[in-house]
Amino acid sequence: MKLQCTDLVKTYGYLNAVDHVDLTLEQGKIYGLIGRNGAGKTTLLSLLTAQNPATSGEVELDGQRVWENRSALDHLCFSRELNISPETGLGNIKVKEYLRIASVYYPHWDAGMAQRLVALFRLPVKKKLQKLSKGMLSMVTIVVALASKAEFTFLDEPVAGLDVVARDQFYKLLLEEYSATGRTFVISTHIIEEAADVLEEVIILREGKLLMVENVQDLLDSARYVSGRAEEVDAAVTGLEIHHAESMGRSKGVAVLLRQGQAIDESRDVTVQPMSLQKVFVALCGEEEKA
Amino acid sequence: MKEQLTESKSIYLQISDMIETDILRGILLEEEQVPSTNELARQYTINPATAAKGINLLVEEGILYKKRGIGMFVAAGAREAINQKRRKAFGETHLAPLLREAESLGVTREELIAMIQDK
Repeated sequence: MKLQCTDLVKTYGYLNAVDHVDLTLEQGKIYGLIGRNGAGKTTLLSLLTAQNPATSGEVELDGQRVWENRSALDHLCFSRELNISPETGLGNIKVKEYLRIASVYYPHWDAGMAQRLVALFRLPVKKKLQKLSKGMLSMVTIVVALASKAEFTFLDEPVAGLDVVARDQFYKLLLEEYSATGRTFVISTHIIEEAADVLEEVIILREGKLLMVENVQDLLDSARYVSGRAEEVDAAVTGLEIHHAESMGRSKGVAVLLRQGQAIDESRDVTVQPMSLQKVFVALCGEEEKA
Repeated sequence: MKEQLTESKSIYLQISDMIETDILRGILLEEEQVPSTNELARQYTINPATAAKGINLLVEEGILYKKRGIGMFVAAGAREAINQKRRKAFGETHLAPLLREAESLGVTREELIAMIQDK
């Protein structure tokens, strides 16, 4: 099974929130979706799961249009961040009612798993959503995502507001479920470093556009931070793809993405260091202000 | 397999290094089964594909081998092979940085040898 979008656009007023995105999601992978605030992550996830109509472009599951197509939608789950502001009306719903709605909506719902997770997270099922903390709301979205058993499951900021122990617990649960079932997960997050090792592929969005889809390990293998005296650094990285150059006095540091067969000239007097996914992301998406 | 992962090196290389170290130390014995990719994924909270990449590196080097339907095992002679490999790499991984630092501090070869003998 694969989920594919072609030339996907969503326009709000003058803004292309999602700007001509082509993306194929393969079955049996954990994808991370990263981008700065307002990059279009949530909009893209809602378009892929047909919770929001696209301005133009197609979303297809194995060649079948997803929009208003129950048989395709049965394989998709988008567990949104819960918005409990008064206009949504969600705040007055109790946790157990919200889970019951999910159990009706998702045809492959695993009630036993939902129960186990509710107990594990110690969720107060009789409380209204508006009485829950940010972290507890995230836990509710995690329960829905995992128990939906949908082939393609999308989680929007599942770790927002969770403490560090709960975040680790979530990633372990995710890996357990993934190992047992081979479901596809797409997770958006701002806490990139913690997710990096769990992801197989990373999808980077910048201002609505798809910047890259890459195997995380391959991307990290290709990324290097080169620093030293400015002239030496420039000489060492001549002809390479450079991002986010920073200078301080005589010294300089640059992020480099090496393509197949390329290498840094290490005969120069420079320090070459590996980069974390978070640093690569900042190098790629953090340089707008400078222009 | 109780080491902690760091950010300074690819995760899959750290996985293969840890397995090698455990074989060297006799924590994993020859002809013994090594943890599965799913077990490694769970223990280190890493993607199973990354764990598999680390395991596969060792399979390619003949340090591990696959028993169909059962899992990965430590090959006979693996301990000696790892020892040889690490000895060969010793100059590059350990001596080169030592000599570089010594040079930038102005420590002479004689002084360096004396330091080693004093240890």
